[in-house]
Amino acid sequence: MLVLKNWDTNLRSREKKTLWSFLFLYAFLVLISLFFVAFLYYDLQRELFLQHQKEALSNLTNEQINRLKTLHVTFDKERLYPRDERFNSAIYDSGLHEIFSTLRSQNVNLYDDIYIKEHKIYFIKELESYYLGARYIALEVPEPAHWDKKIYRTLFLYGGIIFALTVLIGYFLLKLLLRPMRDAISLLDRFIKDTTHELNTPVNTILSNIEMIDPKQLDPSLLKKINRITIASKTISNLYDDLTYLILSHRLSSHDETVDLKLLLEERLEYFSLLCESKKIRVGTCLEANVVMSIDRKKITKLLDNILSNAVKYNNIGGTIDVELHDKLIRISDSGRGMDASKTKHAFERYVRFDRSVGGFGIGLSIVAAIAKEYGLSVDIESKRDEGTKVSISW
Amino acid sequence: MVKAVGLFFICVAWAFGSESVYERHCVPCHKDMPVKIDKFFYRYLLKYSSETEVKRAMTHYLKNPTKETSILTDGLINRFGVKKKTMLSDVALSEALDTYWETYKVFNKLK
Repeated sequence: MLVLKNWDTNLRSREKKTLWSFLFLYAFLVLISLFFVAFLYYDLQRELFLQHQKEALSNLTNEQINRLKTLHVTFDKERLYPRDERFNSAIYDSGLHEIFSTLRSQNVNLYDDIYIKEHKIYFIKELESYYLGARYIALEVPEPAHWDKKIYRTLFLYGGIIFALTVLIGYFLLKLLLRPMRDAISLLDRFIKDTTHELNTPVNTILSNIEMIDPKQLDPSLLKKINRITIASKTISNLYDDLTYLILSHRLSSHDETVDLKLLLEERLEYFSLLCESKKIRVGTCLEANVVMSIDRKKITKLLDNILSNAVKYNNIGGTIDVELHDKLIRISDSGRGMDASKTKHAFERYVRFDRSVGGFGIGLSIVAAIAKEYGLSVDIESKRDEGTKVSISW
Repeated sequence: MVKAVGLFFICVAWAFGSESVYERHCVPCHKDMPVKIDKFFYRYLLKYSSETEVKRAMTHYLKNPTKETSILTDGLINRFGVKKKTMLSDVALSEALDTYWETYKVFNKLK
C-alpha cells in the first residue's frame, strides 16, 4: 500500500505533465479544426445573406439604369449624374475605365457580382445596353449592422460545446492509453519493494560481522578478501538505502540541523575510501572550513553519497576525484567516462541510465534531484564524454 | 494686285490649316442631315461602350460601309441609304475620330 502511494505520487506528477502537454496539443488541433469548420460555416452564411441582398440590390440597380437611359437620351442638355440617397453608384466602360463614380471606395472588383468590403456591400451588374458607354454599374450600400451577430453566437455556442466535448473525450482517451504504463511502473515499484525488503537483513548481518573482525589479526591476503566483501556489502547497503528512500521519501519527516559540510564530506570520503582504493582512484580535496548548512543530515548524506558513488562507479582505474567545498558551493569532479552534454538534462529522471556497463537502477540522481528540490539547492551537471563529469551543488 | 492675290492665298491656307480633318471632312456633310452627328456618336457608345471599341467600329464602318454594319435603324437606312466609302487616309481618319471622340465623350463631363 505504501509503495502504491509513493508510486502514485511520482506517476501523478509525470502523468499530469503528460496530460497537460497532450491536452494542449489536442486542444490546439481541435481548435484549428473548429476554426476551419467555423470559417466554412461563416462563409456559407455570408453567401446566403448576400443572395438575399442580391434581389433588393438588383431592383435598385434597375432603377439607376433607367435613370442612365434617360440621361443618355438627353445628354446634350443634361449632364447631372443621377444620385440616390439609398446607395452610391459608379459606371465603367467595357475597358473597365471609370466613367463616373459616387462610391467611397476607389477599388471596385468588377469581376465579382456581390461582395462585402469595409462594411459596405458592393453589387456589380453588366448592362445590356451601354447607356453613356457604361457596360458595368456598381452599387454601394452600407452593410446592415450586426447581420452576422447571430452567426457568431451560433458559432461560439456550438464551437464551445464541441470543443469542451472533444477535450473531455481526449482526457479520458489519454487516461486509457496511460493505463498500461501505470501498470508497468506499478509492477517495477512492487518488485523493488520486495527486493529491498529481502536485502536488508543479510546485508546488515555481513557488515556488522565484518566490523567485528580485527584486521590486525588477518594476513594480507585474507584482509584483501575481507575488504572486497566490505566494498560489495557497502555497495548493496547504498543501493538498499536509495531504494528505501525512494519508497519512503514521502513518509520521511525532515529533522533539519546545522551540518558542518567539511566534516561530513571527510566522513563520506572515508566511507568511500576502500572503494576508491580498489579502483586505484586518487582523491583530491579542497575543503573550506566552517561551511555549514541547515539540512536533514540523512538527506544531505544521501545526496553526497549518490554523487560520490557515481564518481567512483563511472571512473576509470587509476582515475581522479576532486572534491571542493567553498561558501555556498560543493563541487565533485571525476575523470571518468562522462556522458554526452545533450543527455545531462535527462540524468535526473528516474530509471534513466546512459551507461549500462556498471550496475544500478538509475535512481541515484533522481534522489539527488528530489532532495535538492526539497531544500532549494541547485544541482548543475557538466559532462564531456571520455573526459569526466563535474557536479556542482550551490545554494 | 500680286500682293492682294498672295494675301488671299495665305488667308485661305490659314483658314483651312486651322480646321481639323473632322471639321473639314465630317461636319459639313452631317450638318445637313436630319440626324445630327452627336446622335451617331451616342448610338455607337450605346453599342460599343469603350473608346477603343467605338473607334474600331467607326473605322470599320467608314472603310467598308454596309447595311449590316451600320448602326442606323432600317428606316433611316432605307430613307438615306448607306454612305460612301471614306477617301481619307488611315492617319487622317484616325485623327478625325480622335476629334470626334474628344468632342462628344462622356468622360469628365458628368457632374
